[in-house]
Amino acid sequence: MQQRDSNQTRRTATNRRQFLGATAASVGALTLAGCLGGSGEDLEGYDPQSSAVEASAVSWDDLGDLEGELTIYSARTADQIDPLFEEIEAEYDDFSVSVDYDDEGDQLASLLEEGENSPADLFYTQSSGELARLKEEALARELPDDVIDAVDDNYSDSDGYWTGASGRVRAIQYNTNEFDGDDLTDDIFEYATDDRFEDVISTRPNSGTFRSFIVAMIEEEGEDATREWVSSMVDDQNATLYSSGSSQAEAVADGEQAIALGNQYYAGRILGNDPDAPLDVAFTTNDPGCLFNVSGVAILEGADKPNLAAEFTRHILAVEGQDFFVETNGEYPVLDGVDYVGDLPALDEINPLEFDLNKLSNVEQAQDLLRQEGMTV
Amino acid sequence: MASERLERLTEVTNDTSKLGLTALSGVIALLVASPLLWIALRATQVDPDRALELLISVRTGDILLTSLGLTLGVTVFSILIGVPLAVLTTRSDLPHRRFWTIVAALPLVIPSYIGAFAFVSAFGRHGEVSEFLGVPMPRIQGLAGATLIITLYTYPYVFLTTRAALLSMDSSLVDAARTLNADRLEAFRRVTLPQIRPAIAAGALLAGLYAISDFGTPAFLHVEVFTSAIYWEFGAINVEYAALLSLQLLAVTGIILLIEAKVGKDEDASGGSATGAQIRLGRWKWPAMGGIAGIGIVTLVVPIAIFGIWLVRGTGGSAPTYAFEWAYALNSVYLAALAAIVASAFALPVGYLAARSDSLLARLFERVTYVGFAVPGVVIGLALVFFGANYAGWIYRTVPLLVFAYVVRFLPQAVSTTRTSVLQVDDRLPEAARTLNAGRVETFRRVTLPLIAPGVVAGGVLVFLTTMKELPATLMLQPIGMDTLVTLIWSAHGTAYYRYAALPALILVVISGLSMLVLLRQEDFNA
Repeated sequence: MQQRDSNQTRRTATNRRQFLGATAASVGALTLAGCLGGSGEDLEGYDPQSSAVEASAVSWDDLGDLEGELTIYSARTADQIDPLFEEIEAEYDDFSVSVDYDDEGDQLASLLEEGENSPADLFYTQSSGELARLKEEALARELPDDVIDAVDDNYSDSDGYWTGASGRVRAIQYNTNEFDGDDLTDDIFEYATDDRFEDVISTRPNSGTFRSFIVAMIEEEGEDATREWVSSMVDDQNATLYSSGSSQAEAVADGEQAIALGNQYYAGRILGNDPDAPLDVAFTTNDPGCLFNVSGVAILEGADKPNLAAEFTRHILAVEGQDFFVETNGEYPVLDGVDYVGDLPALDEINPLEFDLNKLSNVEQAQDLLRQEGMTV
Repeated sequence: MASERLERLTEVTNDTSKLGLTALSGVIALLVASPLLWIALRATQVDPDRALELLISVRTGDILLTSLGLTLGVTVFSILIGVPLAVLTTRSDLPHRRFWTIVAALPLVIPSYIGAFAFVSAFGRHGEVSEFLGVPMPRIQGLAGATLIITLYTYPYVFLTTRAALLSMDSSLVDAARTLNADRLEAFRRVTLPQIRPAIAAGALLAGLYAISDFGTPAFLHVEVFTSAIYWEFGAINVEYAALLSLQLLAVTGIILLIEAKVGKDEDASGGSATGAQIRLGRWKWPAMGGIAGIGIVTLVVPIAIFGIWLVRGTGGSAPTYAFEWAYALNSVYLAALAAIVASAFALPVGYLAARSDSLLARLFERVTYVGFAVPGVVIGLALVFFGANYAGWIYRTVPLLVFAYVVRFLPQAVSTTRTSVLQVDDRLPEAARTLNAGRVETFRRVTLPLIAPGVVAGGVLVFLTTMKELPATLMLQPIGMDTLVTLIWSAHGTAYYRYAALPALILVVISGLSMLVLLRQEDFNA
C-alpha cells in the first residue's frame, strides 16, 4: 500500500542515490561505492569485480569470483534455469543461490506487495513485461554501465533498469498431419479469419508472453484491429483457451487441436521426447505474432547484496551463460558477439517486429480488452 | 428439555470462565480473519467509478452465476452421494462394510486438481481410456466437468460427517417409528433425517466452500469462476480488481454461512448408540457394492493408473532438476502435522464454546473461522506476503507464517468436528463430575476431553490431509527452497515432465490415505 503511494518520493531518492553512485564510480572511490551498495555481502562495489562484460562476450574465467548466498525470485521454470544456476555454483566454493520458483504473476505480485522489504536480490523472469512493471514501481535498481552497454539495445531497458538474458519468439505450433508448413499463412491476422483454423486453433491467454503479444498488437495495429482479432478468435474461430502451455502443445501433438499460438519451446520439448510426434513450428513475419521477447533480470532496489547480484548478472551475460540458453533451451542470445547455432530460423529470416520492450508493461488496456471480449482463462 | 436449556443459559451468563472462553474464541477468530483486511485495503484502492464499472459488468455477473452454479452443484451432488453411502455403510448389512467405508472416504485424499489432470489425460478423444477401449470418450471440461470432478473429490466431507452422526445416533428411535407403522422411507424422513441434518449441513458446507475456493480444477477445465478470475487478474498484476472480486466472493460466502447456520442449527443430538434393526439389502447389495466400487474406480483407480502410466512410460523426457527426494515428503508431512496440531488447538475453544453456548457471539466467532476456507489460497498467500514482509519480517518466509496460512485456510474442518463431538457429550456427565467436587478445569480434562478427543483428532487429520494438498499459499510463503510434494508436482506437471510428477503424486496419495485410516479408526472409537 505505502509502496504504491510513495512512488514519486522514492523515485527521487533513487535518482539521488544513482547520482551519488555515479560520482563515486567516476572518482574511482571503490570503498564509497561499496558502502552505498548495501550491507552483509562479501563483494565490494557494484562495478566489475574483475573484467567488465562486453558485447563480444567474455568468459567466466575473466569475471570476479562469486561469494556468499544470492536470493533469486525466479519465474522461469526450474527445468530451464536450474542447470545454469548449478553450473555457476559449481564454479565457486563459497557461492550458492537460494531460488524461489513460482509463476510470473505470483512472483511480480509478491515483489510489489513486499516492496523494499523483499528478501530477493534478483528477479529472473520469462518476459520483459514484468521487468518493465518492476521498473515502473521503482523497485528495480539501475544496472552497472558495463552490463547495459554489453547487451543489444533492443533487448534491454533503455534506462538501464533491467536487461534481457535470452530471447524467444512467439510461434505457431501445428500438427503436421493436418497442415503442411508451406500452406500456413505468415500473417497473424489471417489466423483469426481463415476458416481452415476454425475449432482447431488455441491460445493460452494467462501467459506473460501472450499478454505481451496483445500489448504489442495494440501498439502496432491499434486497439480496434486488436479487438477485432480477439473477438474473431473467440467467436468465429471458437479458439480453445488453455491455462497451461504444455497441455496446449500436447493437444496439438495428439491431434485434439491442429494449431497452437504460443512459445516454440513446448513443441521443442515434446519433439525431444518423441521425435516422431506430428508437430512442428512456423512463424509469422514482421508482425506481433512473431514478437521477440526476452527472459531477463532486474536487481531489486531493496537487495541486500546488489554487488553479488551484479556480478552474477555478468555471469549470465558471459559466453558460458549465453551458450547455455542456445544449446539447452533453444533460445536466442542477447549479445551481438554470440552466434545463434540452433535449429530455429535465424532472427533475420523471421524478421521479428522492432518493438520497445518497455511498452510491454502497459497491460491494463490489453487486459481490459481481453476481459471484455471474453478471452480469459 | 426447555428448563434444561434455561438452566444452561443462566449458567453461561454467570460463569466467568465462559467469558474467558468467549474472549479466547474471539481472539482466534480475529487472528484467522486478519488476512482478510488486506482484501479491503486493496479493494479500496480501485477508483470508485472503475470499481462500479467492473462490479456491474456482464462478465462479473457471469462469474457470479457460474460460481454459484458450481457451489450449488457440488453441494447438492455431494449430499446425493455422501448421505446414501453413509447410510449404506452404517445402517445396512452391506458385506465388507469396513472396506467400503475406506473406499468411500479415500477420494478426499486426492487433490482435485490432480484428479483433473488425470481425468483430462484419461478422457477425451485421444485419452488413455479411449485408446484402451477403442471408443472415443467425451472430453471432461466446462462447468459440468468441474462440478463432476470437484464433487467426486469432496463428497467424502458429507459422507464422513453424516456417517459419524449416524454412528452416534440412538437408532432405537427408528425402531420405535417402525413399530408405529411408519415405512422405512418415512421413518428415515421423519426420525433419522432431523437427527442427522446438522451433520449433513456441516459436511455440505465444507464441500460447498471447498468448491468455491478451488482454483486448480476450474482453471484446468476452462471454467470462469471467482477463483480463476481472481487468479487471472493477479497474473496481469491487477491486484485491486482481484481484491474486488474477492470481496464479492466473501459476500457470497457470508450468505452461504448464514444459510448453513439456519439449516444446521443444532438440536441436541441424542447420545447413545443402541444398535437397532439394520436395513437388509438382499439382492440390492450387488448394485450397492457396484456403486461404491464404481466411484472408487473413477476417483482412485483412474488417477493412480494414469500416474503409473506416466511413471512406467517415462512420459515427458529427462529433467534431473525434478528428481524426487524424500526430503520433499518429509517437508510435506512436517508442515501438515504442524498445521494439524495448531488448528486442533485453535479449534478446541471455538468448537467447544459454539457447542456449549447459545450466545450470538459464540456462533459468530465460529462462523468467522470458516471464511478463510472459502477464500482462494492465492489471496490468503498474497495477504500474508504483504503483512509478513512489511510488518513481521522475522517470520516472513519461515515455517510459522506458512503454518499460520494453513490454519487460516483449514481451521473450520477442525472446528466443525470438535463442535460436533462436544455436542454429543451427554451434559449430565460433566455435571456429575462437578457434583463430585471436580473443578471446571479438572472436569474438562478428565471427563470432557477424553470424550471429545476422537473428534478433535479427526479434525486434526482433516487439516493434515488438506494441508498436504495445498498449493497456492505454499508456493508464495514456503521458506525459500523448502519444496514439498505438491510444489514438485506443480513444477514437473506445469513443464510437461509428467513422469516426475507421478511419483510425488503417488506418495502424496499413500501418506494421506494412511491418515484417512487414522480418521476412520477414531470415528469408530467415537461411536
